[in-house]
Amino acid sequence: MFRLIGRHFKEAFQGIFRHFSSSLNSITAVTVTLVLVSLLTLIIGNVSQITRSIEGEIKIFVTVEEEIEDEEIPALTRKIENVEGVSRAEFSNKDTELDKLIASFGEEGKLFEIYREDNPLHRAFIVSLKEGYIISDVAARLEKIDGLMEVNFGGISTEEFLKILNGVRQGGYVLVAALTLVAIFLIQNTINQTIFNRRLEISIMRQVGASNSYIRQPFVIEGIFIGIMGSVLPVLATIFGYKYVYEAVGGQLVSGMLALQPVNPFAYYVSAFLVAVGIIVGLIGSFLSVNKHLRWRR
Amino acid sequence: MVHLQNVSKSYKNGVNALNDITIDIKDGEFVYVIGETGSGKSTFIKLLDGELIPTKGIVEVNGVNVGKLRFSKVPKYRRNIGVVFQDYRLIESKTVFENIAFALEVINKPRKEIRQRVREVLEIIDLEDKAKSFPSELSGGQQQRVTIGRAIANHPKLLIADEPTGNLDPERSNEIVELLEKINQESGTTVIMVTHDINLVNKYRKRTIKFEYGHVVSDSREGGYIAHV
Ligand SMILES: Nc1ncnc2c1ncn2[C@@H]1O[C@H](COP(=O)(O)OP(=O)(O)OP(=O)(O)O)[C@@H](O)[C@H]1O
Ligand SMILES: [Mg+2]
Repeated sequence: MFRLIGRHFKEAFQGIFRHFSSSLNSITAVTVTLVLVSLLTLIIGNVSQITRSIEGEIKIFVTVEEEIEDEEIPALTRKIENVEGVSRAEFSNKDTELDKLIASFGEEGKLFEIYREDNPLHRAFIVSLKEGYIISDVAARLEKIDGLMEVNFGGISTEEFLKILNGVRQGGYVLVAALTLVAIFLIQNTINQTIFNRRLEISIMRQVGASNSYIRQPFVIEGIFIGIMGSVLPVLATIFGYKYVYEAVGGQLVSGMLALQPVNPFAYYVSAFLVAVGIIVGLIGSFLSVNKHLRWRR
Repeated sequence: MVHLQNVSKSYKNGVNALNDITIDIKDGEFVYVIGETGSGKSTFIKLLDGELIPTKGIVEVNGVNVGKLRFSKVPKYRRNIGVVFQDYRLIESKTVFENIAFALEVINKPRKEIRQRVREVLEIIDLEDKAKSFPSELSGGQQQRVTIGRAIANHPKLLIADEPTGNLDPERSNEIVELLEKINQESGTTVIMVTHDINLVNKYRKRTIKFEYGHVVSDSREGGYIAHV
């Protein structure tokens, strides 16, 4: 078994060195692709993080109709919490609402103490959302509940912002997929070259009955090796580059409002992802190449 | 061993290379296949080794319906047949020994068994003294003997040779036929040899099947003199 794998490794390395310029082209192509994939992944990762933190802070503010008795509040709470997309509804009575108003005005807020006896404010629910739900959808569903007066949320701008972030993320996924396909295509070229160089050996192997997987192995190893070689520079660039940027901006954007993913473990996760993409690209690229060649004739 | 039942083969370009061929070759036979260029001899060979699928009819070799063989089963099937071509197809960077061993390595034979078998084969093809030579250091006849050695390394039940003497002078050609005869007699291997060489056919008389325009026009048990090839 080991003898066998040893043989295949030897052939794979011979393959790489016999046509080094072609291998180097492939490795460079993988490197360039993975640098772009790295950039996109770093962006996607941070956009997701920012999206999550914004979503976590979004609350919908709902006021309660005056006719609703205090005894009905627990039932109403359950009703709200049963709405799709709601994670929690926190009740706040008139006193608490006044306290909040007073606090929000600082020193001058004390003037509002005169309303303590005959409080004109409404009882309210502060509703938190589950992850991934669109605020205005949930708000619309809340508006249908009887006994609720007004439904307010952060406003359209937050929602628009989240939509943009989502768009960026999805665009990123598409680009990563496209780049991966390009890399697969480029690796195929090199493997095709190796196949051409070794066509005599392949034809003999086929003639004497070597199994298709046996014939395939050295090429697949070569492809994987190219993938791994191609991911070395991108991994270094990712770790050091991200660390540099992270430290340069102090780990956050827009003066502390949006925290970035910390270098450890994020940069290492991205690096592992790059190596995985390199390996998969090499594997698939070489596999497709050899299979095409083997199927070409029986 | 080999049984073709009403076999036809047309290529994609519309050429009907074989038309309604029925042939029966028994275990241990030695058969020549002759015919003018383009008469369908190589097509016949390629049907036997599974490279081509018949358009019509059944090709059966050693109990296997070759035309119906699944793609993934072809390699296993090929281990039971040896094939030799006019061009020797030896790997230049490997020695004679390594070239023969290669055929056994790639089907995962144990190393010890390989060494032993290659030595046996070298004795059969009478090239023990050339084991360490490279193909470029051998004559054409010697190279063809290495190819035959490689083809029989795995004890095939059927040995097919497509014009094995095509590039050789009469003397070397005789040696090749004698080697094939030896293999045929000593290990009972069925041998099918495609040839253009009427002298060989007349000298070493054997069953001779003649193709013309994709038809079998004669199949003589006794072999021997045939006016036109
Ligand atoms: N791959 C192919 N595609 C299309 N036509 C082919 C193919 N191979 C052979 N032919 C045609 O099929 C016919 C039979 O060819 P085949 O190679 O079997 O002849 P042959 O008897 O071996 O000839 P030769 O003595 O020259 O080797 C010829 O007309 C040839 O042109
Ligand atoms: Mg031919």
